[in-house]
Amino acid sequence: MNPATARRASVFAGIVLAVAIPGLMTDYYRSLAALAVIVAILILSLNLLTGFVGQISFCQYTFAGLGAMTVGALSGAQGHHWSFWISMPLGVLFAALGGFLVGIPALRLSGLFLAILTLGVALGADRYLFANGTWNSFTGGVNPRTPSRPTLFGYHLTGQYSFYLFAFVIFLLVALLVWNMRIGKTGRVLRAIRESEVAASTMGLNLVKWKLAAFTVSAAIAGLGGALLAVQIGSVSPASYDFLHSITLAAVVVVAGVGSLASAAIGGLFVWWVPELLNHLGVNAQFFPLILGTLLVTQLVFAPQGGVVKLQHDLGKLLKIGGRRAALEPELAEVL
Amino acid sequence: MAMLELKGISIRFGGVQALDDVTFSLKRGEILGLIGPNGAGKTTLFNCVSGVLKADTGTITYEEQDLKGLKTDARAHLGIARTFQNLQLFASMTVLENLMVPLDAFAARGMVGDAFRLPRARYEEKKAEEHARAILHFLGLTEHTETIAGSLSVGLQRRVELGRALCLRPKLLLLDEPAAGLDAVETAELAALLPEIRARFGITMLLVDHDMALVMKACDYIYVLDFGKLISEGPPARVSSDPQVVKAYLGEAEEVA
Repeated sequence: MNPATARRASVFAGIVLAVAIPGLMTDYYRSLAALAVIVAILILSLNLLTGFVGQISFCQYTFAGLGAMTVGALSGAQGHHWSFWISMPLGVLFAALGGFLVGIPALRLSGLFLAILTLGVALGADRYLFANGTWNSFTGGVNPRTPSRPTLFGYHLTGQYSFYLFAFVIFLLVALLVWNMRIGKTGRVLRAIRESEVAASTMGLNLVKWKLAAFTVSAAIAGLGGALLAVQIGSVSPASYDFLHSITLAAVVVVAGVGSLASAAIGGLFVWWVPELLNHLGVNAQFFPLILGTLLVTQLVFAPQGGVVKLQHDLGKLLKIGGRRAALEPELAEVL
Repeated sequence: MAMLELKGISIRFGGVQALDDVTFSLKRGEILGLIGPNGAGKTTLFNCVSGVLKADTGTITYEEQDLKGLKTDARAHLGIARTFQNLQLFASMTVLENLMVPLDAFAARGMVGDAFRLPRARYEEKKAEEHARAILHFLGLTEHTETIAGSLSVGLQRRVELGRALCLRPKLLLLDEPAAGLDAVETAELAALLPEIRARFGITMLLVDHDMALVMKACDYIYVLDFGKLISEGPPARVSSDPQVVKAYLGEAEEVA
């Protein structure tokens, strides 16, 4: 079996399972599944930034928050009652603008300095943009906005399963677009910039343009995730978009492995289903960060390219499918 | 008519005068050699032409255009390509991908066209791949097409860098020590390859190297640089017998012939 066939088969199997399994679950678990898919979209946004151009961001949830609050303010019950189909693109645009602005100081930074810059952006947004009392007309202040679920072809997506399927289709579309960029010119160019900036610019690449584009598109995808999160939960509270969420997201991306689309799906499941599993086992869900931290250390030692990426690679070897090019994936050491 | 003209280029790093009032010109179709001992300022001069460094004083004119203020990527778009002394391949990418990057830089499509695989993106992608494969074939690298560039030997990596520069469709090619790390056979092959590249692609070349065998064989004209100053110039035969050059350069190293 050649790698392309194996990939198609596993993607197809994944889609069938992802559609069928939540169909058999209760509404509560369907809503968790929808949240997992939305986190997977956020992971895709980081995938693009870290996996392609090798830059790290600790403020993806800030971008998601921009998307969510735009949707909340424009289509919330206390807001303007606009359609989701107008407020969502505006939220994506607004998040993209945020990404563009953060991308400007990020142009000359990488690694630890970029991590600190983006962390500062996240903290600053928590304190001055999202906090009660500063931009209440945007965030809703003490009364969180309550946007309602969108309508698609006359069908109101209020059911948990229908909304899950809707979010899942959006995830698939975003994943497809990211995949196309990855195997096309964009992926090549951004990886070239990651490998050698001096060679990339000598080859005629405008580093400023490409790095800004990567930051902007990444933030736009995060904004899309935030817009979906707003209507999934039905209430936009600043606490859902704080810097701790961003850090958890970055940690999950690193554990799973940057640059692989499968790690987005598995990372999304991990964020929402492991705390649930802990609950079932009678363990306090506050142990989740401890588990994540332990995994992070284990992964850095045993699978620096990322757990999911390593799994894909090993599985490919085991099944004698021409191995994925492991060298495509940068190691964390290169990023931080 | 000179293709590239340097006038009074000086650059200083702290206490070191890396280039001191260097003036020379390069004719279209020429393979010009620039030699000099270690630290003579050869790579610095390259960096000034390709835009990696800014000279303190002096002007660089390319095709009657002042290069002042133009960034590296803009100079590439004018047709100036270069290779690097310390290899700068995109090491974790395949050889083919390495060669496609400059073609990508000249292609019009952006992220949107790429993401949606618009017809133009697919067409450009196919054209770029064909072009890169043709260059790989010309350089005899076909069997390494899908190899990760960083895993190749130094000799092959230098050849890939040359191929990557050729994919930029340059008018002027700057070769920074292309023979460093090559054995005698590979160097001889390279010396034969450079005039072939000129004949085939019509590229003017500026070659910097220590390897006298290469420079003497491949170049039409040679400038000698020492401690940032030009100390001699002329056709290979004359330069190699210039007592000043022998003193500055040939005298200090036994293995150069």
